[in-house]
Amino acid sequence: MNIKQENIRNFSIIAHIDHGKSTLADRILEITGAVDKRCMKEQMLDSMDLERERGITIKLNAVSLNYQYNNETYQLNLIDTPGHVDFSYEVSRSLCACEGAVLIVDATQGIEAQTLANMYLALNADLKIIPVINKIDLPNANISLVKEELKKVLGFSEEEILLCSGKSGEGVKELIERIIEVVPPPKNNDDKKLRALVFDSYFDSYKGVVGLIKVIDGKLKLKDEIKFMASSKEFIVTELGVHTPNEKKLDCLHSGEVGYICASIKDIENIEVGDTITLKNNPANEAILGYKKMKPMVYSGIFSVEPNKYEALKEALEKLKLNDAALSFEVESSEALGFGFRVGFLGLLHMDIITTRIEREFNIAVIATNPSVIYEVTLTNGEVISIDNPNKMPDSVKIKMIREPYIYTNIIVPSEYIGSIMELCQNKRGIYKSLEYIDDKRVNIHYELPLAEIVYDFFDKLKSYSKGYASFDYEVIGYKESKLVKMTILLNGESVDALSLIVHKDYAYQRACLITKKLKEVIPRQLFQVPIQAQIGSKVIARENISALRKNVLAKCYGGDITRKRKLLEKQKEGKKKMKQIGNIEVPKEAFLAILSDNE
Amino acid sequence: MVNEKNFKYQEKRGVYIHIPFCRSICSYCDFCKMFYDTKWAHKYLKTLEKEIDNYYMQDEIRSIYIGGGTPSILNLEEMEYLLKLTKKFHKMKNIEFTYECNLEDINIDMLKLLKFYNVTRLSIGIESFNKHLQDLMGRHHDFKEALEKIKLCRSLGFNNINIDLMYGFYNETMKDLKKDLQLFLKLKPEHISTYSLIINGHTLLKVNKIPALDDDSDAKMYDYICKYLRKKHFNHYEVSNFAKKGMESRHNLSYWDNLEYYGFGVSASGYIDKVRYSNTKNFFTYLKNIEKRDSTCLSRQDIMDYEIILGFRKTMGINKEEFFKKYQIPLEEAYPIKPLLKNKELKQKKEYIFISRDKLYVMNEILQKMV
Repeated sequence: MNIKQENIRNFSIIAHIDHGKSTLADRILEITGAVDKRCMKEQMLDSMDLERERGITIKLNAVSLNYQYNNETYQLNLIDTPGHVDFSYEVSRSLCACEGAVLIVDATQGIEAQTLANMYLALNADLKIIPVINKIDLPNANISLVKEELKKVLGFSEEEILLCSGKSGEGVKELIERIIEVVPPPKNNDDKKLRALVFDSYFDSYKGVVGLIKVIDGKLKLKDEIKFMASSKEFIVTELGVHTPNEKKLDCLHSGEVGYICASIKDIENIEVGDTITLKNNPANEAILGYKKMKPMVYSGIFSVEPNKYEALKEALEKLKLNDAALSFEVESSEALGFGFRVGFLGLLHMDIITTRIEREFNIAVIATNPSVIYEVTLTNGEVISIDNPNKMPDSVKIKMIREPYIYTNIIVPSEYIGSIMELCQNKRGIYKSLEYIDDKRVNIHYELPLAEIVYDFFDKLKSYSKGYASFDYEVIGYKESKLVKMTILLNGESVDALSLIVHKDYAYQRACLITKKLKEVIPRQLFQVPIQAQIGSKVIARENISALRKNVLAKCYGGDITRKRKLLEKQKEGKKKMKQIGNIEVPKEAFLAILSDNE
Repeated sequence: MVNEKNFKYQEKRGVYIHIPFCRSICSYCDFCKMFYDTKWAHKYLKTLEKEIDNYYMQDEIRSIYIGGGTPSILNLEEMEYLLKLTKKFHKMKNIEFTYECNLEDINIDMLKLLKFYNVTRLSIGIESFNKHLQDLMGRHHDFKEALEKIKLCRSLGFNNINIDLMYGFYNETMKDLKKDLQLFLKLKPEHISTYSLIINGHTLLKVNKIPALDDDSDAKMYDYICKYLRKKHFNHYEVSNFAKKGMESRHNLSYWDNLEYYGFGVSASGYIDKVRYSNTKNFFTYLKNIEKRDSTCLSRQDIMDYEIILGFRKTMGINKEEFFKKYQIPLEEAYPIKPLLKNKELKQKKEYIFISRDKLYVMNEILQKMV
């Protein structure tokens, strides 16, 4: 079936986390008949188990839906987006493929930090925004208050705002029709030279690399000889199609259409997100302005627990990188942990997801070391270097200045928590900037904070300081000079490189105490006493002792149950296998992330 | 490499017979047990006879151990029936023959019966004289009674007596332990087996949510017991066994020497022809079908592993030459002995490799590096 260009609508749904985006998408799929009610499962677009488990969207997804309206058939291309701040770059990528965005606000929560952040991203991409108040069926929905917020803070008019419930389906039909009415169709540029934007890719073991694309200009047909403009790599199109949400093969994708492409691309490096596809024999003059490639913000060493799994770990990272342009890695070697990788992540959630996927999907037990931001170090000779690993920090006498990345916060919180949130930010070396009232009950607090402080435990702290009411978003604003020092951790008198970290001088003692205490908790007792020391330069600033193990013996080892006892021993041994041998000490992987859970 | 068939046991086997009946159930016990009832006792002994007839291979036996449960709970008629069964075994000269007794069951008639059937060793479960701990254990007897009963045993010629000592209750003090040890020694036993209390599943202690003692205090008690008994001229010959010179339990040593033994009765385990087996733990299943057992056939490697796990429980350790004779491979080649000697987790004295006394209580850590 051929759909007229003017009947295509490309749109995204954007929202703060938990405001009901995936449920609303489910309902849209159901109403447009894309998914039979019987096959419906929750969070239809979230295909990863991890996404369903955690109730979050990590990868974006695109589906093509058909809808009859005023005797016309419309094609709605819905591009789902992730909600967590770690993945805001994914949001910006999907928005590039759209002309409109549905901005969801929870009727019980109102505007949150990411509502604002996503709204700005959509405005940047020149999208038509449809504000929707969701979850209106809930008893504690406060529709009039949220409406006021949308009008006052975001400047929408009363008539623009739609009400709906993703759960009951109320208002969803109206929303679909509003999309058709107000979102502009993509420009018909069929007669121009082919330009298609790659906005995502994934690996399929049968088809090779599959690219998700939006055709901006011209037409892309099966068997076309194509060329990636940035990489100059050339391929022949072997398959084209759309997701409905199941794959539906097509012979041609027209301008404005969103779909997938396969071209026997085996090497993951050959298709880069943001690149432009054109025809080999009739190339476009210039590429689509590639959007900003998001840079990793947090670096951590990833090592396999078993030393012989290095190659497998490398393969796993390569496979994951296929679907995750933000992931970067290079070889790292550690005295304590052997060969592994220094991996760049967008944030801690991203890091958690990647390590969990390596363990689950590739069955490799991994150790992640204390995450670090990128420091900018000016040496005494004037040279400026970037440091993403505490162990690469030069000797302090060679350092003239260290600068660290700072962020600017949006912390939206009920006004009674202003005091505790400010206390928290102050403790995290924050610089107060300003405070705005969103309505008479809620405020948006702006601080400048070192990114490194966010990396540790800021999210958890924010929750506990605000009884779960705070929402948080940030943007990186650049580097500032800080009094930073490298802290080394010694186990049994030997420094363990994988445990070192960069800390602020004024907070070093406090942090050293917390970390040594935490390490004492997580490292099991050994056959001998193990001192844990935190050291700056050559000065020990904190110490704890793990006292020697006193009892581990099989009881009552008479005839009766020897086979059972042996199994017990084997079980203990299995447990040990999950630990890393450092010198003669067995260290569980939790120890390497001790810094993340330093509860005061 | 040596082939699997190339090594075999020269040693004679032992016999273990399990009597599951009890008058009352001790709060800490997770062995197979049931209330004593003479009707079931009769049926049980009949089944036991069938099992012995079925499996005993007419070989010469080095030791017999009748344990439980409470073997002394049987009435004289039943006890005689049981003891007669042991006549089926071809006993080597100077066989060690142990019968487990509860203090309250000991009387002159049963002792005479045991003597008549050549029982050589009595094992008496006293555990503790501390009133408070006895309440927790659900066992009651006083020191005077113990002294009299043991005197009676000796008057009938039983001169190899073991008593069990239990320690490690959550509220037990060092003072309590010292008092128990003093009283135990006044009974002049030839052998003492110690048990650190373990709160297992399916015990009254577990059900009543009695907490466990922390490992540090438990280890401190263990250290004290070892030092105290060694000072009193007991040979600390296995992790938790102490004996006067020459009175080490031959039957128990056969377990730690990784020798074969028959296990008869409900829930009994045995080790015959390289197969370790366990009989059903269900009393009624056992009565119906003595062949209901779990078996594991051991490879040469398994057998060597057991040699390590069990052998290093002995304070003397493992004899390298005997190991080589048995398995045709040097101990140091089969297991990483050298690095462990180097970091002093193992020690060597002449041809014996052993775990030093101060590391016996954490020996699992060392075993894990070997097997």
